[in-house]
Amino acid sequence: MRKTRKGQESYGLLSRKSGQEEIVGFGLILILVAIIFIVFIASYIRKSSDVNDADYEANSFVQAILQYTTSCEEENLNNLSVQKLIFKCQQKEACFYRHMDPCKVLNDTIKGIARESWKIGAKNPNKGYSLIINMSESEQLLNITEGVVTNNYRTGLQDFGDPHGEYIIILMDVYT
Amino acid sequence: MVNKTAQMKIQQMSFMLLAVFLFFSLVGMIIITVKMSELRNSATELEKQNAMLLATKLASSPEFSCGDVYGTPKTDCVDLDKVMMLKENIKKYSNFWGSSNIVIMRVYPTNKTIVECNPTNYPNCSSINLMGKALAGYDASNFVALCRKEKDKGDIVTKCEMGQIVIRYEEAK
Repeated sequence: MRKTRKGQESYGLLSRKSGQEEIVGFGLILILVAIIFIVFIASYIRKSSDVNDADYEANSFVQAILQYTTSCEEENLNNLSVQKLIFKCQQKEACFYRHMDPCKVLNDTIKGIARESWKIGAKNPNKGYSLIINMSESEQLLNITEGVVTNNYRTGLQDFGDPHGEYIIILMDVYT
Repeated sequence: MVNKTAQMKIQQMSFMLLAVFLFFSLVGMIIITVKMSELRNSATELEKQNAMLLATKLASSPEFSCGDVYGTPKTDCVDLDKVMMLKENIKKYSNFWGSSNIVIMRVYPTNKTIVECNPTNYPNCSSINLMGKALAGYDASNFVALCRKEKDKGDIVTKCEMGQIVIRYEEAK
């Protein structure tokens, strides 16, 4: 009788131990599966975040706009580029032809180019844009803002010095 | 009794192994299915990336760039006269830029209707479809200055307008 009780006790102990081992094994498998799942998700997320739209379009826009030939003429009857027109506006020298105001020509030209270049609106990927031409001493030559200003934007930037040693910065933000 | 317990253990073990095997095969199958569906998307994405890269570097390539013709060397400047000549000899460049279609469009000043350029109407036109292919599929674009030489009051002057290089690519099948 005593022998049987002892045997039952040892059997119970053994099965409890084996049950514990199984639980540990099951736990290990769960951890393994969780690690595999996390690695898979991490690689998936990293791959999808690799795709990003560069700001090349906004930068190219600023570069191209500087080369645009405006209606403002010099004394030799050559039409000025936007870059030279910025200098003229800064110096407040009138255009040779019809004595047009260079700042007004600059404003109208850039407004027109930006309007035709960036299609904005609720149905378009671009919601709005802003273009600022600043001089080094915080004087603003131009500030155009159209559409909706959002927190997501792409930036194009160009800076250059003028013949009088002033520093000009053009900043273009396209809101998406 | 001990024998029976051992058999039970073996049975338990085999069921466990079977369950683990089935679980991993199921997970594997799900991953393969997801990857296969992604394959088409990534092929299209790759086409898009290529088109974007082509759009950014095309203006700097010797076949398009202004070089020193219009004064100092400029970035993002396309010599429209050169492009017109290139269009005339485009057969020599049939596979040079891959399977993409290259279109150069004038953005500003605007034209009410899109007029395809040819030697007779140039420069009073608004678009150059370089490869002459149909305009289907997706596109990637980049802004450029379109410069050309023009006769004005007896003088040869430089005129630069605002334009866009559009690279069209097709979705992967």
